[in-house]
Amino acid sequence: MNLIRKNNENHIINRDIASKSLLKIRYFFLMVLSVFLLSISLNNLWAQEVQKHRVRIRTDYVKIMDGEVYFDIKANSRINKRNVNISNIELIVTNEFDDEEIELGRVKTNMKGESRLILKSLSVIRPDSTKTYNVVVQFKGNDTLKSVSKSINFKDAIIEANLITKDSINYISATLKDANSNSVIVGELLDVQIQRLFRPLKIGEEFNNTDDNGSILVPVEDGIPGVDGMLTFEIVLNESDDYGTVKDLISAPVGIPIVDESTFDDREMWSPRSKTPLYLLIIPNLLTFGMWVIIVYLIMNLFKIVKS
Amino acid sequence: MKNTDKLTKDLAPRKFGKAGVIWTWSLIVISVLGIIAYIDQVIKGQMVTNMNDYALWGIYISNFVFFVATSFVGTVTVAVLRLTNNSWRTPIVRIAEIISLASIIMAGITIMIDMGRPDRLLNLFIHARLQSPITWDVIIIPTYIVISLLLLYFPLLPDLALLKKHYKKTKPKLSKWYGKLSLNWTGSDAQKKIQLKSIHIIAILTIPAGFMLQTIDAWLFSTLFRVGWDSTNMGAYFISGASVAGVGALVAVVYVIQKAYKLEDYITDYHFDKLGKFLVLTCLIYLYFNINEYLLPQLTSKKEEITHANVLFTGEYAPLFWFVTVGGLVIPIIVLLFKKGRKPLPMFLIGLLVVLGSWWKRYLIVTPTLLHPFLPIQGVPESWRHYFPSLHEWLITAATLAMALLIITILVRYLPVIPIQRTAEERELLKKEENNKS
Repeated sequence: MNLIRKNNENHIINRDIASKSLLKIRYFFLMVLSVFLLSISLNNLWAQEVQKHRVRIRTDYVKIMDGEVYFDIKANSRINKRNVNISNIELIVTNEFDDEEIELGRVKTNMKGESRLILKSLSVIRPDSTKTYNVVVQFKGNDTLKSVSKSINFKDAIIEANLITKDSINYISATLKDANSNSVIVGELLDVQIQRLFRPLKIGEEFNNTDDNGSILVPVEDGIPGVDGMLTFEIVLNESDDYGTVKDLISAPVGIPIVDESTFDDREMWSPRSKTPLYLLIIPNLLTFGMWVIIVYLIMNLFKIVKS
Repeated sequence: MKNTDKLTKDLAPRKFGKAGVIWTWSLIVISVLGIIAYIDQVIKGQMVTNMNDYALWGIYISNFVFFVATSFVGTVTVAVLRLTNNSWRTPIVRIAEIISLASIIMAGITIMIDMGRPDRLLNLFIHARLQSPITWDVIIIPTYIVISLLLLYFPLLPDLALLKKHYKKTKPKLSKWYGKLSLNWTGSDAQKKIQLKSIHIIAILTIPAGFMLQTIDAWLFSTLFRVGWDSTNMGAYFISGASVAGVGALVAVVYVIQKAYKLEDYITDYHFDKLGKFLVLTCLIYLYFNINEYLLPQLTSKKEEITHANVLFTGEYAPLFWFVTVGGLVIPIIVLLFKKGRKPLPMFLIGLLVVLGSWWKRYLIVTPTLLHPFLPIQGVPESWRHYFPSLHEWLITAATLAMALLIITILVRYLPVIPIQRTAEERELLKKEENNKS
């Protein structure tokens, strides 16, 4: 009897333990489920509170004399302690004029975070009473980036450049003027360089500051190579605080013609098959044709043997 | 006529004995295993091989070059000996023609195996550039296959007609086949005239075709700017090497056929002696080109050349290199320079050694150069610097070799390995000369 009672007690104890452990599993399951659901809901909450990053916009104004005017705009942001180029965002470029905002255009940044707005000429933009042009670049923001605007102000400058020859030496002569007042600009740095494929080739002294007449005179060395001897000189006022970047271009045949040694268009061993050397078209084809003519003749001889 | 009948009886194809059947089935089994491995390679891709970014040409290309080289036997023994009127060639030319045909067929198949997927063969035509030796190879291999086939077929015609007659009563079905293949050969003057003219033309055609084949094969390497390949010596080096491989294979096969078919009356010690002299000549020429190939870079001492030479002379590939050079060239030359060395059995052993050396020689031409590229890539896995074929590669390669031997075996089983008609004519001529003398 004692044994039966003991067994019953053991059974009850075991049942209690089992039900308790089942209870624990249930709690555990509920806990996991609630953590899971909470994490989802919190995630949603966090998503709404995600910290937006600040976009930094850099705008450069460039004017080509007798040519176009453009704004080079670059957008980046500091994300996770790293500078990241912000691609594929829309930027609105406007002209501020007497509390009025005239839209000049909209551009999208590329993978490098860069974009360029090209204007036909500066006359598209209206200056204020001090003849200063005020341009604002705006980004309206999105889910991850804050809205931002950046304004630049510049005046119009002109470069009058010429190629002159003195004592058989070629010089680049350039004068920098304020377009509004038509007065010369003194003490500004002008770069004289020759256009090249990867980066321009600077000529003359390292610093060419405009003199009292607002002019510089830079000698052109002999023997600079150019396609067909043609050199394109760039006279550049580079990123001036007041005037931005202004470029004047002069092309003149004062260089040494580049001898094109490329065999790209020639019929060469390494050319594509459309440019196979003629001897390689003729000889292998002749040999192949010759051998197969003989082979056909021999096969015909087999037929002749059958018939004879 | 009686003479011809006796010759036909002696030289007509015979059923294989027990050894022949075992041999044939062994070749079939190896071929089937290789085909299974190849199907697996087609399904899984060339990842089943041990080829990598460095060893992009492995054992398949070595094997391909070996087959191309061996196929040269048709040019050197048949065409050259025929055109130079070497009458001792008669009992061995057909065997040479058979080896040549089997080798060049297998060369074509091997190159398809190396492509991974067989449909890529089409790309060789679609994207063909006549500047590329690969395109020349695509043209010359089928051309050489057809030439080899014609080289074998034209001299066979009279023998096929004889076999038709021979088997008319005993094996009428087989006789019918021989009759069809003999193209109604009656031995008329008109037929003989066309046949002899055709044989003469093929003999001439085979020489430039064979030289082109070997040279193109050499240019596949020498047009690449790689150490060990970038050599103007390569064309001549390959031609001389092909002569060695071809004649070596011929010697080995001739011996086996002589013993299997008991043809001692037809293929005599005299023929082995001549073949031995021929083989030693080819080995000497090849040795000369080897000296050119390996010694001159030592004198000019370019860094990359020295590195490559060190790998061969004292490095990873030294045992193989010295086996190929000493076993495959120097020992055959020494043995074959003595008359006793030119007896059938020593010749057979030397032939085998030469063939083995020739096969590994192609492996040495292809692999070490690839493992030491001119512009080494930085930070490559160490495994890329070594190459040894995978099981798939060995099975497939063994199968191609077995298939080549199977083609030879089947042709030997159904064709007279010694030209019956020509032997009869030569013997009659000899008899007449003897009668005239007496």
